Amino acid sequence: MMRELGVIIPAIADRYGVRGGRVASVIALAVLLTLPLWGNTYLVTVFSTIALYSIVALGLVLLTGLAGQVSLGQGVFYGIGAYVSAICTVRLGLPPALAAVIGVVVAGLVAVPVGRAILRLRGIIVAGVTLTVNLVFFYLVVSVSSLTGGATGFVLIPRFSAPHFMRYSTFVFYLAWLLAIVCLVLTLHLARSRIGRALKAGNLLAGGSEDTAQVLGIDVMHYKVGAYVVAAVFAGTAGAVYAHYMTVIEPNSCGAQFSVLIAIMVIVGGVTNPWGALLGAGLIVGITEFFREVAPILVGGPTGAYELAAYGIVLVLCLLFLPEGLFSLPARLRRRREA
Amino acid sequence: MKPEPRGKVENAAYRQRAAGAKPDKALLEYRALRAEYGELVAVKDLSFAVSPGEIVCIIGPNGAGKTTLLRVTSGLLKPTCGQILFRGRSIDRMPAHRRAALGIVQLFQDIQLFANMSVLDNVMTGAHVWTRVGFAASALRLSSAVAEEKRIREAALNELETVGLAERALEFPGALSWGEQKLVALARALMAHPSLLLLDEPYGGLVQEDISRLTALLRDLQQRGVTILMVEHLTDVVMDVADRVVVLHYGEKIAEGPPQRIRHDERVVATYLGE
Repeated sequence: MMRELGVIIPAIADRYGVRGGRVASVIALAVLLTLPLWGNTYLVTVFSTIALYSIVALGLVLLTGLAGQVSLGQGVFYGIGAYVSAICTVRLGLPPALAAVIGVVVAGLVAVPVGRAILRLRGIIVAGVTLTVNLVFFYLVVSVSSLTGGATGFVLIPRFSAPHFMRYSTFVFYLAWLLAIVCLVLTLHLARSRIGRALKAGNLLAGGSEDTAQVLGIDVMHYKVGAYVVAAVFAGTAGAVYAHYMTVIEPNSCGAQFSVLIAIMVIVGGVTNPWGALLGAGLIVGITEFFREVAPILVGGPTGAYELAAYGIVLVLCLLFLPEGLFSLPARLRRRREA
Repeated sequence: MKPEPRGKVENAAYRQRAAGAKPDKALLEYRALRAEYGELVAVKDLSFAVSPGEIVCIIGPNGAGKTTLLRVTSGLLKPTCGQILFRGRSIDRMPAHRRAALGIVQLFQDIQLFANMSVLDNVMTGAHVWTRVGFAASALRLSSAVAEEKRIREAALNELETVGLAERALEFPGALSWGEQKLVALARALMAHPSLLLLDEPYGGLVQEDISRLTALLRDLQQRGVTILMVEHLTDVVMDVADRVVVLHYGEKIAEGPPQRIRHDERVVATYLGE
């Protein structure tokens, strides 16, 4: 794993023209991995959240950036991962690790029929339909309150059995980042493979063509559903970890706003680049925390939900000036310098 | 006792011989094929056959149903009725991607290279039908995936070498000329190991130099045993390349035969060549 990262990170950095990419990436990784040693619990929690969001966003990079299929409904699979895992522990008494795996598998299985239905649609309507599915899921969770805890949420979810020598937040931090890096490597691998080419060939958003893909023997639907399932498995993984981390989940934590936020992260970070998912997640979580925690200190009192406006502003600025996302910034700067 | 036949194909041939039947020679056969777009009948009760190794050209005025016929053959359009037989097997209910796996590969008139991939990746995509690595092996980059990827890359570079574009492999399609893009599309189609190539106006928009290059390539493919069914407007090219010509007019076949006879067919001259 580390050997692969040592090769992959500098290689990607080089390709995007990040000078001294090797040094920078090793420093970034070192800073990140030692964070629980020097940072406070708040910082550790924030970075765990970034990792979990990154995992969901990576799935969307696969789905939108590679396969060209938009989705405003990743919260459904995040929610399935979280709720199924919670139900398995509390109602069936299964250990959290096993329950989490079941949650992820269920998310993947649900994605098969849902994907088959949704991916028949083309264009902007897909955004609307996925968002609607997310809303239906939200009301389903609220109404089946005997199983899910309803609108007040599911409480007293047991924690993972963490080793005794570290704090629980530190354990979750390493677990979340391990999973995020695994998902990142899997996504990078998929992008540059037979599967990646099949997905790009049918990508209507970026110059692919379904007719051409099909006459070359690619079952476009099969690969799109595959990408949808992988994205669901990623989202389910993040959801399951979140449930046993927070020990509380409520319908809003996997609602439409969650899904839209994931989409914003991916657009801001750069939809075709897996690394962009991490950047986008970092930026959006950073904005959220700034307005919730830092701004009240600065202005000396409670502030409103300014982060919602900030998301919008960042999104519009990105679409105007960096349509390929934050990850295209180094390459752009270099081109400008050379020009 | 005769030796046990091995493969499926041999087996079929063996049974035919044993039954005293004449082996069915056609690679592709249309039987009373009909295709419609709503009210419009684009192909009307068409019947003809293509033998293995032949180059057959379909000609006819605009709107004669030529492109429709190719799309029905590759599986992008469902026929209303009638039959398409490939190697004696009915394929008219088979989706396009499965027909490609049988060896039927279409090239479009407007090329349609994937703009989001390098030239090399475009050609590598053509290997899809004979490669097997799935989601899990690709994501985990198992040794089987790595080995297969290497085979695909080598084969793709070979095909690019054949069409003389190996040094453009890492560029994107937008940087290539129209003629070069056509050659990349051809290389990509050849990566799929086609036994029947469907070409839609392959000579369209080519300069004289590229025309001779393409003709040489098509002849070479024919030598390698690839059967070609193509739609073409350029009469000179058709007369030069085709073994047989089929003339369509409003979806109906009005003539069929070797180029020399078609050139002098009264009906063909009146409706099409005489323009």
